[in-house]
Formats: sequence, C-alpha cells, structure tokens
Amino acid sequence: MPSSPGTDPAANPPAGEGYSGSVQIERCSTGIEALDAILYGGIPRGNMILIAGSVGTGKTTLGLEFLIRGAERGERSLFLSVTEAKDKLVQNVSSFEFFRRELLDNGSLVMVDLPVIAAKLGFDRDELSHEDIDLLLRAIREIVTSLGVRRLVLDSITSLGYRIARDEQIRDFLLRLGETLSEANCTSLIVSEISPEPGRYSTRGVEEAIVDGIILLRNTQRLGDILRVLQVVKMRGTPHSRALYVLELTPIGILLAPHLKGGRAVTE
Amino acid sequence: MPQADIGERLRTLPAGSAVAVKLDAREYADHYFAVLNATLRDLGSETGVHTIYVAVTSPAAFVWSLAQALDVPADRISFVDAISHLMMRFSDALPNATYVESPRALEEIMLRIEYLLRRFPHPRSVVVIDSVNSLAIHNPPELLSEFLHILINNLKGRQALTLVLETSDEQAASVEQLLNLVVDETIDVARLGR
Repeated sequence: MPSSPGTDPAANPPAGEGYSGSVQIERCSTGIEALDAILYGGIPRGNMILIAGSVGTGKTTLGLEFLIRGAERGERSLFLSVTEAKDKLVQNVSSFEFFRRELLDNGSLVMVDLPVIAAKLGFDRDELSHEDIDLLLRAIREIVTSLGVRRLVLDSITSLGYRIARDEQIRDFLLRLGETLSEANCTSLIVSEISPEPGRYSTRGVEEAIVDGIILLRNTQRLGDILRVLQVVKMRGTPHSRALYVLELTPIGILLAPHLKGGRAVTE
Repeated sequence: MPQADIGERLRTLPAGSAVAVKLDAREYADHYFAVLNATLRDLGSETGVHTIYVAVTSPAAFVWSLAQALDVPADRISFVDAISHLMMRFSDALPNATYVESPRALEEIMLRIEYLLRRFPHPRSVVVIDSVNSLAIHNPPELLSEFLHILINNLKGRQALTLVLETSDEQAASVEQLLNLVVDETIDVARLGR
C-alpha cells in the first residue's frame, strides 16, 4: 500500500530540505500521492525529468496521469506524442476514473501529435537537419509560451531520436528544450524507451546527463513472479527516496508500495 | 456460541486494531463459518462497513458462495483473490473481486487492498487475511514478516480493523510467532467455544 516511503532508512538520507533553515523550493506535485511522498512533495518546479523504462512498464500512463492531475489543478498540460495518435491517447486516458473529457474540451489538457507539427513545418526527410531541429524547438516554444503550459510530456525522446542522427544533436535539442521549459516554469517529463538490461536510462546514453531527474520503471523478478517497479534514480534540487517501489496501474491512478526485500538481496 | 463471542470481541476493539483469529484445524469448518458469520454478516450489517477479504486459502468464488448463504450484500464485500490464478480457475471471475496472479506477489496484494480502501472509503473498514498459513506456504518467513509488518501498520493508520486468520497446528509455530509480533491481540476460537 502506498505508505510513507523509506522503509529502508539507508535509501533515504536526509539532505538539504529537512534541515532547519534549508531553502523551501516550489514544487510541482505529480498528483500521484506516493510518488510525491518519495519526492518529498513533488518535482522541483521547472525541472526536466527522464522517465526511463522498457516496454509495458507504465511510462506513458505515468506521464498522462501527471498531466491530468495538473490540468485538474488548473495547470495547462501538454502531451507531445511522437508515436501514438491523439485519438488513441484519448481512448487510453478515458479508462482513468479521474479523467474528465471537459479537460480536453476546455483546453486544460492539450494533446499534440509531433509528426503533425513536423509535417506542417515541411519536414520531408527521414532525418532531421540542424535547421529542422531548430524549427521544431521554436514551434514547441511557441506552443508552450502562447498557451501558458505548466506541464509537458514528450513521448518519446527515443522515437524522436530515430530521426536525429548524431548524439550531440540530441544533447543540443534537450539542452535547449530544457532551457525553454525552465524559463516558462514548465515542469516536464521526457519519456525514454530502453531495453530491459540494467544500468541504462536511454538508447543513446546522452539524455541522462542533461535532465534534472531520472525516474526508472522496470520489471523485476522474485520467486518466478514479475513485479513492475519504480525508482527515483536522480532528482536535482530535492532529497528523495532511492528505494524500489512496486507500481500498480489502476483505474484510480498509479499506486505504489514498498518493494519487499525479505531481509536479503532481490533476485533480478 | 463462538460466533457471538467473536462478534462481541470485535465490537469492543479500538479502531485500527489488528487481530489474529486462531482456528483449530480439527474443527476448522465450524470455526471458519463462525468467523464468517461474526465478521461478514453480524459486524457488516450492524455497522455497514465494507469488508475487504483477501482470499489465499480458497478462491474468492468459494468464499463468496458462503457469504451469499449468509445474505451478505455484494456491495459490502470485495475480494482480493490471490489463489485463483495459481489454480487456473479463471472462469470463476467475480465482479466484486480483483485478482492477483500469485500469493507471492505480496506488494500487489497490498496495492489491491489500498485500491479497494480508496474505492470504498469507510471510517472503519474491515480487512480479512485468509490466511497467514496459506501465505506462509508460498512465501519465505522473512518476506512474510515484512509484508505483515508494513500492511498492518498501514491499515492501523487508516483505522481499519485487520483480522488475520490462522489455523493452529503443530507446523504453524513459526507462523504464530511471527503473527504475535504484529497483532494487538489473538482471538482463539476454540477457547471461546468452551
């Protein structure tokens, strides 16, 4: 059950906040109660976070719940989809009991197909040039600033990366996107699809160095059963639990429970 | 009459209590039915509480058939069924049950309980774990201890009444020791009947 995180005290060292006289920072509540507890209240406002995980671990669902919870609080939320069509995404979010169609109708929750933007910008090559990337960033900046977007999810940097040839171009894209979003005080989740092998957070290996935080989703095995787990690997600007939590996708949203260790190492 | 005595003991417990309910293996059917009567029917009808029944010993469909015989309304009970999948009993799916693939997926059991507590909020919900012996068959003692410790503490925080069913026999000594560490008291059904 979602409990106060930190069943493992060693995984939860006090740092910064929590000491008397520490600076209070503005936080963006994810709206996922247990994740907010893991993050001591939420993601530092304006941070860019990598949501890394293999197929079927709940990355998109986490991103969608983050946006819907934000839209409910009056924060305009934008989903930039690279792979899934808007209609299919709407169908997916409709399974959430807390989702109201009204959020889409009144513009609190905006879903944009990135390929549609790319087509409008006239990108007709498989591989994006430096100029194309520049135009794409400008288009995103325009949407974010004109709509006053406070939360953004890009799903996924991996799919976008297939059209960007060089690692330094991805690095440059993310650096500039991060700057833009930070200036707009917009908190963002960048989805990264990875293979199940441990130790990697992105396909190219450049994204994790740029982002402010990494939330890793993966499957783990115990006694033959597969458990879907979440771990906050890094989060600049705030202390956080580094423990593993088992994650469940439910109609009322994502629920987390401490990953039980049973006094010994977990079998991966 | 154990059923009346059990009901009386449960009614006097403070909110957030965790109780081990010990059933004698030799009189299991009688004791089990008395516990179901006292919790699902009597306590449920008096207070209108929602009971979350964690089925590990028998499938939810079986427990539900007993509950129906006791006239327990479907909207007063939900099941977390952690045994049907293992028994390949998929065709018995109940609308008021949620199914966990394995009794070893202890965190998922915790999360389904949490889901149902949020879904059916009540100032004093009842959670029945049936049973600690069955969980012990599938889980190492260290893992089971950790599970019970976290689960019961969370349920205490939510003011829920937790009943952990335990069948007493010679093999269950370690389970009983484990349970004694986490519950507030034990109701020995065999002693009540005397």
